[in-house]
Amino acid sequence: MDDTNAIIQYGLNALQLGSFYALIALGYTLVYGVLRLINFAHGDVFMVGAYIAFFVSSFLLSPEGLACGQTTAFVLTLVLTTILTSGVGVTLERVAYRPLRRQGAHRLYVVITALMCGILLENANLALLGASSRTLPDLIHKEVINWGGVTITNLKILIFMAAILVFVLLQTIVMKSRFGMAMRAISWDPFAIPLMGIPVDKIIVFTFVMGSGVAGLGGLLYGMAYVKLENTMGMMMGWKAFIAAVVGGIGDIRGAFLGGLLLGAVEALVPAFLPSSYKDLISFSILIAILCLRPTGIFGVPLTTKI
Amino acid sequence: MLNVEQLYAGYGRIEALHGISFHVKEGEIVTLIGANGAGKSTTLKALMRLKPPEAPVVTSGSIRYRGQSIMDVETHQVVSRLNMTLAPEGRHIFGNLTVMENLKLAAWTRQTADAQNDLEHIFQLFPRLAERAKQRSDTLSGGEQQMLAIGRALMTNCALLLLDEPSMGLAPVLMYEMFRTLKRLNSEGLTIIVVEQNARLALEVADRGYIMDTGEIVAEGPSRDLMDIPEVKAAYLGG
Ligand SMILES: Nc1ncnc2c1ncn2[C@@H]1O[C@H](COP(=O)(O)OP(=O)(O)OP(=O)(O)O)[C@@H](O)[C@H]1O
Ligand SMILES: [Mg+2]
Repeated sequence: MDDTNAIIQYGLNALQLGSFYALIALGYTLVYGVLRLINFAHGDVFMVGAYIAFFVSSFLLSPEGLACGQTTAFVLTLVLTTILTSGVGVTLERVAYRPLRRQGAHRLYVVITALMCGILLENANLALLGASSRTLPDLIHKEVINWGGVTITNLKILIFMAAILVFVLLQTIVMKSRFGMAMRAISWDPFAIPLMGIPVDKIIVFTFVMGSGVAGLGGLLYGMAYVKLENTMGMMMGWKAFIAAVVGGIGDIRGAFLGGLLLGAVEALVPAFLPSSYKDLISFSILIAILCLRPTGIFGVPLTTKI
Repeated sequence: MLNVEQLYAGYGRIEALHGISFHVKEGEIVTLIGANGAGKSTTLKALMRLKPPEAPVVTSGSIRYRGQSIMDVETHQVVSRLNMTLAPEGRHIFGNLTVMENLKLAAWTRQTADAQNDLEHIFQLFPRLAERAKQRSDTLSGGEQQMLAIGRALMTNCALLLLDEPSMGLAPVLMYEMFRTLKRLNSEGLTIIVVEQNARLALEVADRGYIMDTGEIVAEGPSRDLMDIPEVKAAYLGG
């Protein structure tokens, strides 16, 4: 009985970690789906999101700031972080990616630019805020729920619900909405889009708004769950989420969600059976094995079709 | 309706159009004919203000549509505001979308009631598309894809339609049917510029034509006159 409880406990941790990977992976996959661009700055957008959440919530809660109540502060932080982080993503698109696209630069250069933008964000953060790490103030009243020996916090439930909600929302937008239809069409044939009277840039901005907004939400929740914010936190999370997106089948929303949860599961469950220093070794071996079996990822179709 | 003067355009350092001039009047069908690489597609892409790398950069000359220069207009505005669009060479339909989604996408900027009428009209013209409305469009046959490409262009509510090789890949029967359809659309008020490999067919349908050769217009006139020019006969009409 104890053993099963422990496994369930690990499973719940896995869901939390996986939810973060999923939230970030969704942003990778959205942008890749539309632009065929691996936006390597995305992990750092997530980091910036966490910091935005920190500053917004501190300001809202502190007596010198607005001195809001906890619930008000949480809701406002959620909304503002999402909006402001969208702004960061859109700014990157405007100042870095769009000019390159305009000049018809090869995709490789855009990817390298994305990578550099990420490093830039990390170091700008370091320069502005110094090396000290930050801690988000308490935004919800933490409760521990006990189900016959298995404990789960209300925060974990919130995080998992948020990931599912975002997934369903994005999947619906992409598959059902007018904007989503245009996004899918761009991924197939960007050349013909303006011939339909559709402004391509508008669709791309919309895509970045969604991807970065979700990263901001992820950053906020991450800050609430893991205490310490550091300027390099986006890097490893970003890489792993990217891998999760690829394993799921990059370009596919379902793939990003599933890939994220899968990576979380593998990472959280390995320490249940093996020394935790094996964690990354084992989890990445499993991911490589999956890719060997299905090079295009779980939901991937060879090139083209997906968003 | 459309006036092109001394248009020079190229890809990178290579000039593809060496100062071409032509015009299209409201209600006409005009055809551009020429050998492979003559610059027909380049001309249409330049008219649509499409961007590199697929489309050329216009280096000088003017394109006027209903009296106004469109040199600084973005492609999507050429389509949505000026009501001129292109069904490009090679169809470029969105294979990952259904037939219906392709058609709806083309009405992206339009009011739904209007678009709904057009949709019904297009299904009348191409009943095949109605049958396959829910099917992924990359599963259509070549001819059906061509119908979709034209149907899709019509869904943008265009007054001037540019067609780049609409008969490509069509069996002769379908080809004639396609051109009958174009004629019908034209009689309903649509102005058309059509680029076509099958010069005989194009000249039979068109009011006027321009013959292009390596980036220049070498002959022009009413279709009937063009068909009588010995060089044109020899080069494009099989003697
Ligand atoms: N995207 C491009 N980049 C560079 N050069 C191009 C491009 N498209 C066309 N060209 C060149 O411009 C010239 C004209 O090409 P264009 O496609 O306009 O010919 P076309 O008359 O449409 O021929 P076809 O009948 O084969 O379709 C050709 O020499 C071609 O090599
Ligand atoms: Mg051509």
